[in-house]
Amino acid sequence: MVVTAKHKDKDGKDVESKQERHYHPQATNCRDNKMKYGAQWKVANIRDTSIQPMKPKKETIEFDLPEGIRAADVTVDLFYELGNPDQKVPIHTVSQKVLLDR
Amino acid sequence: MKFLRLIFMLLFMAFPLIVSAEKAKTIDELAKMYDSSSCKECHEDIYMQWEKSHHARPLMGVKGGLMLTPLAMKGATAFSPDDPKKATAKNYPCFKCHLPQAITSAEDSVAVELTEALLTAADASKTDKEKADAKAQIAKLQIGCIVCHSDKAILHKRELGEPQKGVLYSSKAVAEHGDAMYKKVEKSIVMKDSLYCGQCHGLGPNLEFDQPFQCANLYGSYLHNYIASGGTKSCQDCHMQKGDHLIAPNWNDDKGSTELLKKALALDVETLGYDWLRKAKTYVSKVVVNTTITSTAGHRVPDG
Repeated sequence: MVVTAKHKDKDGKDVESKQERHYHPQATNCRDNKMKYGAQWKVANIRDTSIQPMKPKKETIEFDLPEGIRAADVTVDLFYELGNPDQKVPIHTVSQKVLLDR
Repeated sequence: MKFLRLIFMLLFMAFPLIVSAEKAKTIDELAKMYDSSSCKECHEDIYMQWEKSHHARPLMGVKGGLMLTPLAMKGATAFSPDDPKKATAKNYPCFKCHLPQAITSAEDSVAVELTEALLTAADASKTDKEKADAKAQIAKLQIGCIVCHSDKAILHKRELGEPQKGVLYSSKAVAEHGDAMYKKVEKSIVMKDSLYCGQCHGLGPNLEFDQPFQCANLYGSYLHNYIASGGTKSCQDCHMQKGDHLIAPNWNDDKGSTELLKKALALDVETLGYDWLRKAKTYVSKVVVNTTITSTAGHRVPDG
């Protein structure tokens, strides 16, 4: 999942800030601490951040805006990566405008 | 008398070995032994669904890849053979699920042929035709109707015995089955149960091998997260609705994959903009994004 906040900086230039969250089981070969990809190298999970049934995955992501900037366009992209980051399957894209002034 | 009894016992024990010794020596022989194409004559819809499924291309990975290539390459994995000509089924632990018939019904010469084909398909010095031919040969190895509806259909073998020759197993029995080889269909008591899929879709590390490895954890996740949280559906309830033998996802179908994932995962987004008082007279303009992903899948996502 990639959360993007687009806003202006003090000089009026476009700024894009991104934060990512990765949801997947992570395995090593249990001989070192390097994560492995591919069944022929993996032996056991050492961490599991995947999306589990009946357990909503909640995140709070914060962006600090430059002084004087009062609005940002937020986009949340949820996608599935097949074998590598280039093989994306889009799932949801949600965009919202966030205003700091009432 | 005791001696004669011993002879009879030895003969009885040896007989099944002689029968089972008829194993495929080549990829073509193994593919022919497990050929399901005649099933299409009467079960066309199911067959066409299966043809698009990952079961029809268990060695191909996604998007036309060849998942077993590292296993064929010397030194690339702990399982890889030093010499392709000396490859055996032991070099391919993935056969456990990706080609179970190779364990029961193939000579090691099939592993040799597979190794050579995998190396050819990955060899930049080979012509496109040579590479395509090698890939086409590997693609003949499939998880077809006979694997699931015969070899894998009985789990309680101590009580129910091995699958019988000439008998298929399904969720319903059919007294007279119009096939030249499989004239009868018996009811498999586990075919509608998640346990059936769990034979291959994994509990975690495969510790029964001399070098453990881990592929899918899906069934483990189903048991320890979904069932443990009160879930009651089976794999088949969601992935084989109305007997669908595509058994989605089909990762080669981008649109279908998106639709399936959309159905399984809901995303809720809430935002808030405010001025955070960091310390006296010092405000920080803050944007907060709260996300909640809710899954209706009966297993972790991702898994396989």
